[in-house]
Amino acid sequence: MSLYNWLNERIALESMTKFAKKKQVPVFYGTVWYYLGGVSLFLFIIQVVTGILLILYYQPGATTAFESVKFIVSKVEFGWLMREVHSWSANLFILFIFLHMFTVYFAKAYRKPRELTWYSGIFLLALAMFFGFSGYLLPWNELAFFATKVGSDIAGAIPVVGDFLLRLLRAGDEVSGATLTRFYGIHVAILPAVFTVLLGIHLALVQSQGMSVPPEQEHLAEDKRKYMPFFPNFALRDLLFWLIILNVIALLAVFFPWELGTKADPLASAPAGIRPEWYFMFMFQTLKLIPAHVLFIEGELFGILMFAMGGIIWFLVPVLDKKANQNIRSKLWKWIGIMLVIYIIVMTVWGYMV
Amino acid sequence: MRHFSIFISSIAMSAIIFTTDLPQDACVSCHFEIDQDKDVDERSLTNILDDIHIQKGLGCSDCHGGNPEAFDDEDEAMWDVDSFLGTIERVDQPQVCGVCHSDPIYMRQYSAHIKTDQVGQYWTSQHGVSLKEGNQNVAVCTDCHSVHGIFPVNDPRSSVYALNVPETCNHCHGDSEVMEGSGLSNDQYDKYRISVHGVALLDDMDISAPACNDCHGNHGAIPPSVFSISDICGSCHVNNKDLFKDSHLSDIFLNADLNQCEGCHNYHDILTPTDEDLLWNDKDNCVECHQEIEDVANKMGVKFNNIITELKSKIDLANEKVASAENMGMEVSDLFFDLEEAHKILIQTRTSIHSFNLEHVSETASSGYKSADAAILGAEKAMEEFDFRKTGLLIFSIILTMFAILLYLKIKSLEKNK
Repeated sequence: MSLYNWLNERIALESMTKFAKKKQVPVFYGTVWYYLGGVSLFLFIIQVVTGILLILYYQPGATTAFESVKFIVSKVEFGWLMREVHSWSANLFILFIFLHMFTVYFAKAYRKPRELTWYSGIFLLALAMFFGFSGYLLPWNELAFFATKVGSDIAGAIPVVGDFLLRLLRAGDEVSGATLTRFYGIHVAILPAVFTVLLGIHLALVQSQGMSVPPEQEHLAEDKRKYMPFFPNFALRDLLFWLIILNVIALLAVFFPWELGTKADPLASAPAGIRPEWYFMFMFQTLKLIPAHVLFIEGELFGILMFAMGGIIWFLVPVLDKKANQNIRSKLWKWIGIMLVIYIIVMTVWGYMV
Repeated sequence: MRHFSIFISSIAMSAIIFTTDLPQDACVSCHFEIDQDKDVDERSLTNILDDIHIQKGLGCSDCHGGNPEAFDDEDEAMWDVDSFLGTIERVDQPQVCGVCHSDPIYMRQYSAHIKTDQVGQYWTSQHGVSLKEGNQNVAVCTDCHSVHGIFPVNDPRSSVYALNVPETCNHCHGDSEVMEGSGLSNDQYDKYRISVHGVALLDDMDISAPACNDCHGNHGAIPPSVFSISDICGSCHVNNKDLFKDSHLSDIFLNADLNQCEGCHNYHDILTPTDEDLLWNDKDNCVECHQEIEDVANKMGVKFNNIITELKSKIDLANEKVASAENMGMEVSDLFFDLEEAHKILIQTRTSIHSFNLEHVSETASSGYKSADAAILGAEKAMEEFDFRKTGLLIFSIILTMFAILLYLKIKSLEKNK
């Protein structure tokens, strides 16, 4: 009895392979966008694997975190590689989720019946950013400490729930060893659990509904549409893309290592040039540019309310873009998307230039 | 112009009298009116409100005597009062100030640790001795501490605050007319100003750097003698002093009446010593005794220089290697401890030269070599590790690329078959 037969009798392997072989992937000018979701998934897997290896040596705590990361990168065999790969793939992970989200947006893939896929995707992006925010503090270095202080201050400015959120994040009034322990727990237990469940739902929705095509492809007659089998053709292409990404991560890890910096000192004054991770930069830069008072409310609060409102609108695009459900491209929503991309890029670059 | 200055002074005096905490006694009520019509001595009244004595509640009569209760009666206020001193003569100043400042019981009310030996010290100083001999052209209390505008020594406005001491001393010692007949030159300040101490104090504002009083004493100011100079320098440069005192040169210097530290480093214009100073030239101080250029002492100087040069070269090399490993992103923070240690030993080695003992200098430097070597070795290991990573990356990339090519061919073949 072969292993395949043995497994087939127990977990219905044949039905799964049949599904994979039967599944078709549309072939058109935008087929390449389909790989972005797969790459994001691959990067998440790398995060999990390297993260587990780092947990073996990492010791949370104000007096041990920095030292343990130093130990990992200098004494543990290939510890440096694990940290570099974890850090670089974390950044690429968020980058590819952003790219994936915008390609989905411009392809109108959020339209009926894929609204739930869009909603779950937006939640996954938010979780990924929180992954980044919580993980950034873990080496307990100076930059991370003050970036967390600034980041949690912004959360504290949210009306009504701000104070509660601030204390919830910091596990106290100030960023301290307690904050570090809390972030560690969130980073390695809560977020992975929630993210995995939500990712499962997201993937199940994608598999059950199949790949979406843009409205203009939908209008084509069936005989003019092209497809390729998901397995093995598309799966092998996915794999090829993953190999390229893995190679890029290896190059980045060796030639552009992340600095460990100096250990955080809560009593020291903030060094110059404190800035958040790049994926928060457009928001940070915007908040810096808003005047102290806008009309009758504080500038920072105004900025937060604007971002909150923008986020809700973005989240509700499947509901608000009525034309998409009729397979018509709305010019308004196209330009909103383009302006948002330009805004994020300009503000991010600006943030790094000043 | 004179009238204008009187006018301005009058306004200033009025402002003082109406806004101040000056005791409203007979002295103030008359003298401030009188002074409005005089060409006021600005020096004497500037900062009077902030004067430490006024701040502590003392009045004019506490120094000048008289009866401050006698308003509108000049005789009763001054001339008929036995204790009235009027303008205090320079020669009497130490005694008048000493009435309070030499009384430990009285002074204790202001601070438990306040010193009361100033006047006693003063009479042992060159200033005090000369004053007793009848020379009034010497510094008395007010020359250094100012008159009527006296601040505590730790107040930056004080003329005896560390940063102001060189200027205060130079007020007299830099004045050729005042110093005429004293047998002293008047270039001390100019020399001090360019010295390592002067630069540290006056340019870097490092108040731990010595001013005039740190070497010459405060109230008991005297020029250090042959016997005391190494102790004075040694109060800060402790290791240098101990090493020199234990060296064979100590007795030779004493027997030859040679000032110890000053013999090599000069005084007042003490410049930062360089390692090249160990290599003599015909202008060097050492040549005065060691006249033969092939002298054994000269050879020793060359050897000292070689030891230090070698240590410096090793430290430079270690710095370079650690920096390049760090630039490659390697974790080398532990190596900075070795570099710091090596640098510390370099300073110790330079200090050890005061032993004039080749073996001791060599031994001190040897631990510096070890620290620098450890940093070099660590940096080289880090670079080897970096090379290993690059090689690993290359092999990994080749395997991945080959795998990707095979995958690509497989995909093409699949699509072709279709």
